[in-house]
Amino acid sequence: MNNESLLAAALSAVPRLSTRRLGAMLDVQSPSKAMEMLGREAPNIHDIEAMRQKLEDGEMSVTYVGALDYPALLRDDVARPSVLFYRGDLDVLQQRRVGIVGTRSATAAGRYMASHLAYDLSEQGVAIVSGLARGIDAWGHKGVLLALDRDNKTVSARDSHCGQPIAVVASGLDVTYPKENADLWKFVAEKGLLVAESPPGTRPEAFRFPLRNRILAALCEVLVVIESHAKGGSMITVEEAQRRDITVMAVPGSPRSLSSAGTNLLLQQGCAPVVDATDVLVALGLDNRRNHPQVFDSRRTPSVQDQTLLSHMQGEAVTLDQLLMRTSTDLVQTALALGRLEAEGWVVNNAGWWEVLGRSR
Amino acid sequence: MAFASVRSSTLLGVQGKGVDVEIHVGMGLPGFTIVGQPDEACRESRDRVRAALLSCDLPWPNRRITVNLATAVHERKGGAGLDVAIAIGLLIVQEILPHEVAERYAFIAELGLDGTLRPVAGVVPLVAAIDDRIVVVANECEREAQIAARNKVVCAQTLAHLVQCLLGESAWTPAPIRTMIDVALPSIDMKDVRGQTAARHALEIAAAGAHHLLFVGPPGAGKSMLAQRISGILPALTDAEAVATTIVHSAAQIGLPATGIVRLPPFRAPHHSTSLVAMVGGGAITMRPGEISLATNGVLFLDELGEFAPTVLDALRQPLEDGVVRLARAKSSVTMPAKFLLLAATNPCPCGEGMPGVCVCDDSAKKRYLRRFSGPLLDRFDLRVAVSRPHVDELLADTPAESSAAVALRVSQVREMGMLRSGCLNSDLSPDLLDEFAPLTTAAAALLRYHLERGRLSGRGYHRIRRVARTIADLQSARDHNIDHSFDLVDEAHVATALALRVGVHPQLSGDRL
Repeated sequence: MNNESLLAAALSAVPRLSTRRLGAMLDVQSPSKAMEMLGREAPNIHDIEAMRQKLEDGEMSVTYVGALDYPALLRDDVARPSVLFYRGDLDVLQQRRVGIVGTRSATAAGRYMASHLAYDLSEQGVAIVSGLARGIDAWGHKGVLLALDRDNKTVSARDSHCGQPIAVVASGLDVTYPKENADLWKFVAEKGLLVAESPPGTRPEAFRFPLRNRILAALCEVLVVIESHAKGGSMITVEEAQRRDITVMAVPGSPRSLSSAGTNLLLQQGCAPVVDATDVLVALGLDNRRNHPQVFDSRRTPSVQDQTLLSHMQGEAVTLDQLLMRTSTDLVQTALALGRLEAEGWVVNNAGWWEVLGRSR
Repeated sequence: MAFASVRSSTLLGVQGKGVDVEIHVGMGLPGFTIVGQPDEACRESRDRVRAALLSCDLPWPNRRITVNLATAVHERKGGAGLDVAIAIGLLIVQEILPHEVAERYAFIAELGLDGTLRPVAGVVPLVAAIDDRIVVVANECEREAQIAARNKVVCAQTLAHLVQCLLGESAWTPAPIRTMIDVALPSIDMKDVRGQTAARHALEIAAAGAHHLLFVGPPGAGKSMLAQRISGILPALTDAEAVATTIVHSAAQIGLPATGIVRLPPFRAPHHSTSLVAMVGGGAITMRPGEISLATNGVLFLDELGEFAPTVLDALRQPLEDGVVRLARAKSSVTMPAKFLLLAATNPCPCGEGMPGVCVCDDSAKKRYLRRFSGPLLDRFDLRVAVSRPHVDELLADTPAESSAAVALRVSQVREMGMLRSGCLNSDLSPDLLDEFAPLTTAAAALLRYHLERGRLSGRGYHRIRRVARTIADLQSARDHNIDHSFDLVDEAHVATALALRVGVHPQLSGDRL
């Protein structure tokens, strides 16, 4: 790590130096010049040494606006971060990039959609950008993890053409939040790129998440919202993307499901719908049909009778009670059919509510 | 002779223990001492007995009085039921009553200051502890006392009256005319419940096989309404069950029905602030039975399961397996019956909605909420059913649903079928009996294997599913009026239904084709 990057990192950790002031300084001069300008406020030699230690311990790298390796994508951004901490490889940003975002309180169907879309896109060489939050974000990256895993078994790592994971987080890179995503966090840092604007040790304070979302949006070529409430973090990301003229796409959901209210609103406003990976690939201008086999559903097609049952379950989660009411078949037959469909992976029981996974064809 | 020994009994848990109250009146400074580990209520009997004797114009010996409570085992004795025995002992020592009285009678009652005989807690087990004497109790206890009595029971109104009766100068209080009509059946009926097909089925299965049932659903879905209706579909208690339950209720001083014996299965619904001791029993020296013992042979309904203290819930685990609760304290240990059907209701998550897409709780909030129920406790529920709010059409439907009476008929048929087949209810079938009485078809076995391989069933869950499937098969036979085939196989449909009525409570995170 060169000295200027280290100074930039140390500057970003000065508590009384606002990001705006830091940005204004680093826009026009090098970090060492900025140090001179700050005088008594500047970090002393101990601060700098402590920062070096933290960066080394966390295997983190730093780049700043003036640096040669600062991502070109962000250089012209309207609200570019002046200092960027990262783990992994900045070259991942050269891949085609699709953002997958959504609510933290997702349905099983939403999580299924997120992981499968990410899996299919990653297979086509598209990198997946997300925020490593609970719910949709995490399941997007889990899809990438599976795609890379499967790919590693068939081809050597060098020949892998899979899209890699990119994550933008709000806390410092050494503060894993939420804790349950620690494995994913590690996976993204090892196999892709993990980015944060906050210096190491920063707690996940609420105001940092909207700021994180602007960087997330800036790194996408296409942003796909899987499920979102009418208000929330995903909608902030969408606004940031629209400010930057980045294509926003949304997965349609039941009009009765509150966790699809945001995505349905986006569709109303004219966003393109996403039903499967092909829609996104077309939006990226990639013709997937020429080189790659069609996305394949390994599930056995249900019988006509079971398909009727599936059709009664489309759109929203139902309890067994509601299902019996809708189909007016008896409990035993319905239970048998549900057992068959569950075994094949068509439906899943989510804490008492049955949900359909994917479309029945 | 300045000595007398009078028989009475004291209560420990739900068991009476015979006590010989020994009285010695001798030389020395006037005084009154009770020895033999009496509790506070016992020690206070000195003042009650003295006042009662004086009120009835009976003499009080102004000498040194020592009372000893002698039992086979040394333990604390509690309760005020020894008052009359002490008073009678004093009268025998003063030769107002003959010594033979102590050999023919035992006394179980408290004394009022005016000399009246008062009822005490636990008359049924107290009377049951005495086998070779006529038992004297207070008027109000006569009915209760008859239930478990091995001898004649007589009653008197006051101490003066009692003395006259013992001397043969007066007649015992005649037994009141007994009410034979039991309290009316609960007026709440299953036909009031609209929709909720699966939940109704679950309730019927729970009643028929005595399986534990958990309702999960949003507020206003009708969980409590359904649960309360289980009383109406359970059969009346058998004689043995009725006596066992009455003993517990008597020991806890719960109001008994007019016939004096509990005939209908008890329905206990303790509030969620209930303490550990109130739930499992204990507390006083006499070890009062807790809610789980009071629900014996009946239903324990825990509404808002998540609001109960985790220690209280986990204390249910051992009684749920064993059917009894064993309490040990430094100075005593008791075993009390606790064979109940556990019925519980809870919201699925903090916002209460639970339905994916409507619920606003994120995964960690749900997990934190569900952490209130330990896995082992959830595993003990044979049936776990999600209840949703009924549809408007169902609420306004004109056709009433099936009535409690119709359901109760099937329930009693299935219970009878189980008793005839295996000598126990389906929920009590041990694993080896399951193979004998609930053999699986190949398809049913394959379905269970699939769920076991996926880790969706624990070993305990596997057996529970098989027991529930047995009940479901029995209910189907009862529905088809095909009661002869009580040894028929449990097929795939029954197992699938059992599985569909035992859903995971934790949010299912993935649907993994990958």
